[in-house]
Amino acid sequence: MEGKEEDVRVGANKFPERQPIGTSAQSDKDYKEPPPAPLFEPGELASWSFWRAGIAEFIATFLFLYITVLTVMGVKRSPNMCASVGIQGIAWAFGGMIFALVYCTAGISGGHINPAVTFGLFLARKLSLTRAVYYIVMQCLGAICGAGVVKGFQPKQYQALGGGANTIAHGYTKGSGLGAEIIGTFVLVYTVFSATDAKRNARDSHVPILAPLPIGFAVFLVHLATIPITGTGINPARSLGAAIIFNKDNAWDDHWVFWVGPFIGAALAALYHVIVIRAIPFKSRS
Amino acid sequence: MTKDELTEEESLSGKDYLDPPPVKTFEVRELKKWSFYRAVIAEFIATLLFLYVTVLTVIGFKSQTDINAGGGACASVGLLGISWAFGGMIFILVYCTAGISGGHINPAVTFGLFLASKVSLVRAVSYMVAQCLGATCGVGLVKVFQSTYYNRYGGGANMLSDGYNVGVGVGAEIIGTFVLVYTVFSATDPKRNARDSHIPVLAPLPIGFSVFMVHLATIPITGTGINPARSFGAAVIYNNQKAWDDQWIFWVGPFVGAAIAAFYHQFVLRAGAMKAYGSVRSQLHELHA
Repeated sequence: MEGKEEDVRVGANKFPERQPIGTSAQSDKDYKEPPPAPLFEPGELASWSFWRAGIAEFIATFLFLYITVLTVMGVKRSPNMCASVGIQGIAWAFGGMIFALVYCTAGISGGHINPAVTFGLFLARKLSLTRAVYYIVMQCLGAICGAGVVKGFQPKQYQALGGGANTIAHGYTKGSGLGAEIIGTFVLVYTVFSATDAKRNARDSHVPILAPLPIGFAVFLVHLATIPITGTGINPARSLGAAIIFNKDNAWDDHWVFWVGPFIGAALAALYHVIVIRAIPFKSRS
Repeated sequence: MTKDELTEEESLSGKDYLDPPPVKTFEVRELKKWSFYRAVIAEFIATLLFLYVTVLTVIGFKSQTDINAGGGACASVGLLGISWAFGGMIFILVYCTAGISGGHINPAVTFGLFLASKVSLVRAVSYMVAQCLGATCGVGLVKVFQSTYYNRYGGGANMLSDGYNVGVGVGAEIIGTFVLVYTVFSATDPKRNARDSHIPVLAPLPIGFSVFMVHLATIPITGTGINPARSFGAAVIYNNQKAWDDQWIFWVGPFVGAAIAAFYHQFVLRAGAMKAYGSVRSQLHELHA
């Protein structure tokens, strides 16, 4: 029973708690901090839940890019902005889709759908290196397929209208773009940490029904703010998928910004949450 | 002793909730705890992110719709998008920091809760300072990223719009902040919590929505302050005469609105005065007995 429950917890693997179950009874807290995930967990490769989780990330990222890039194409090809869902509609497509997909896959894979989120959670020892790499690969593949389907629907228009690729807009420096990606990803990953925090869960009487909503809202809000600057990456898989399928120089020239920025932002969020908010290293010591 | 007292009180009242005792105004023991400094840091970071995302959205809106610069109508997220930026950002930040600092992100909210004896004076002042500093840093980041656009398009500063007089501006800020702080009081009310079966998962959402709706209503009047730190941060970085001339509106209005909300919730809805009176009567009764 314990093993089965363990198997479907966010970011967890199928192996039981490393701490004795009895220790929870000795604490006056209504929650227990999960132990750090080991770097390598060879046994999880033999578990279907591991492979299923990666497949779920692939499908989620595929659907994410299909909906969002298709929305972007719709806005770009309309005669004028007023005749389409507009920039705000694009932001809703990104944020709303993350909300729906996180809701669907939270219990399967933790609902990352974003290499930056996976990286941040990895730094916080929430999942193993093996799993992190597997998730990131599946996310990138899903993104490529999603953008590919959109191109398949309208090949000429896709190429003519920029392919939904992320580039730094005129009037902004690469530094500005990088900074926007760092802070945007910080907002997202920090919200993910808050939503999945054990203490937060206890505060909500262990009824986590609201967790996907602030994550979706964080994506929506960052898109509102930074679409004018970079088209908003904050998701390296999203940027990679569009860049590969669009495959023009201008998309590749700036592409490094959409990996370096998000990964730095995720690292900062992990640092802030683990060190400042939860003070976990200091607790371990005492 | 404390637990026994609580238990007795609980059994006597038959209620499924217990109002927390008032916080001492000059409580200073909390200065020795990390949770206090963590809360202040959380308020700083939250307000920084709030101003960064919202002011960036405002500047983006103005630059993308500037006809002279090649923009066009509907080329940005629109005023509706700006309202969502403010309301949505409050929602996720309150959600993230509710358990850390109470998720104020607004000196007016802190002031209202202070008047209701829910935070000590030391904590209230510390939060307000952190919020103002965070706001200034957040807007500073926006300026660093796009100083040309920032200066050209008004710096996201709150100013009274043409066609409205000072009284209208102050009134809009008072009522707008009343809506927000009243929602905060309701969302954090122990009685409300009991009604929700002690599962407070939804508390941040109405707070965010109240900010969103006030922005829908008052952006045309003042750009909507209802958050003195937000107005202060933008004024400091933009450093424009009119922004400073009107700055007092964005402190007096919100603080008055917060005070009215605190009074309304504590004394009208929760009948605090009646309970105090009842307490006095019971003591007199004991004296007689």
